[in-house]
Amino acid sequence: MENHAGVGTGDGGNRMTTIQEVQQAFTTGSDAACIVRNRVEAAVPPARIRGEVARARKDFGFDHLIQISVTDLGATFQLIYHLTGPHRIVLSLAVDVPREKPEAPSMHDIHPPAGIYERQIHDLMGVVFTGHPNLKRIILNEDWPQNEFPLRKDWKPEPDRYYGGVREVL
Amino acid sequence: MISENRSLSIMINRGLSQRLASWARVKSPWITIFNSGACNACDIEVIACLTPRFDVERFGILVKGTPRHADILVVTGPVTKKQASRLRRIWEQMPEPKYVIAMGACGAGGGVFRGLYHVMESVSSVIPVDVYIGGCPPRPDEIISGVVTCLNLLKEDLDHGGKAWRTTPASAQATEETV
Repeated sequence: MENHAGVGTGDGGNRMTTIQEVQQAFTTGSDAACIVRNRVEAAVPPARIRGEVARARKDFGFDHLIQISVTDLGATFQLIYHLTGPHRIVLSLAVDVPREKPEAPSMHDIHPPAGIYERQIHDLMGVVFTGHPNLKRIILNEDWPQNEFPLRKDWKPEPDRYYGGVREVL
Repeated sequence: MISENRSLSIMINRGLSQRLASWARVKSPWITIFNSGACNACDIEVIACLTPRFDVERFGILVKGTPRHADILVVTGPVTKKQASRLRRIWEQMPEPKYVIAMGACGAGGGVFRGLYHVMESVSSVIPVDVYIGGCPPRPDEIISGVVTCLNLLKEDLDHGGKAWRTTPASAQATEETV
């Protein structure tokens, strides 16, 4: 048997996906991708992310979405899809969406739990997930003003705007 | 004549029942706990109060699941903007006389969450607070002490016939008396 790079088995005796295969399939030669022994990181253009996540699930057993993280990088928002599976390899697919048009495709049909993460990201960061069936508020209060995204780096509360709470003081 | 007697007896009975209710309220206050966005440390300390080591039930303090049965509302945590209207609604459901204890540094002034975009200034900006318990989180003995302080306040209020004596300043009271 070839070296499995320290990755444990967990799919009941079937042939395991190896970290080399994942690296080969998801990273190009230019970016140094493997951070620690069971993690692979890859940058993906927004147009291809749905296909890559679906391929990771179908061909490499990444059937579990750990989380979707989002970072405000100034000109872009970086979405990272952290995927894993019975082989315990963690694949992080990073997508940069432009700030002027923050749109990304929804993954709710590939990974159903993605829908909740997407609602959170939409609520706090203002990224629009196209194709999401129910993209409404989940974390902020219901009377929070529209088009204000508190986790964006350039967000400042307006001094005399009402951000929710109680209007009438006892 | 008969109706007068009856109304007199009702008055006496009401006085008695009122006294009985006040006695019961002081002897066995029922509290309800509301987490308005706390980090759960306060809640855990409250649980420690209820479990056998501190066991507040031996003092007659009972935790109720609904505000409609409670005399004292214990609020833990800073009030998030989402919880503010809920906290107000919970408070409105409590029967009079109702008392509010704000627990921990967060309840008093936001604590480490002070000034964040999604929290109110304090519990008192949403509902009137009678007793604050300091600490982050307060120890169970401090919580018990806070509840006892609240009960003493309740007794004082009964003597004064309501909460008004605390909120109106002494000068205003004096002018009221002279007028």
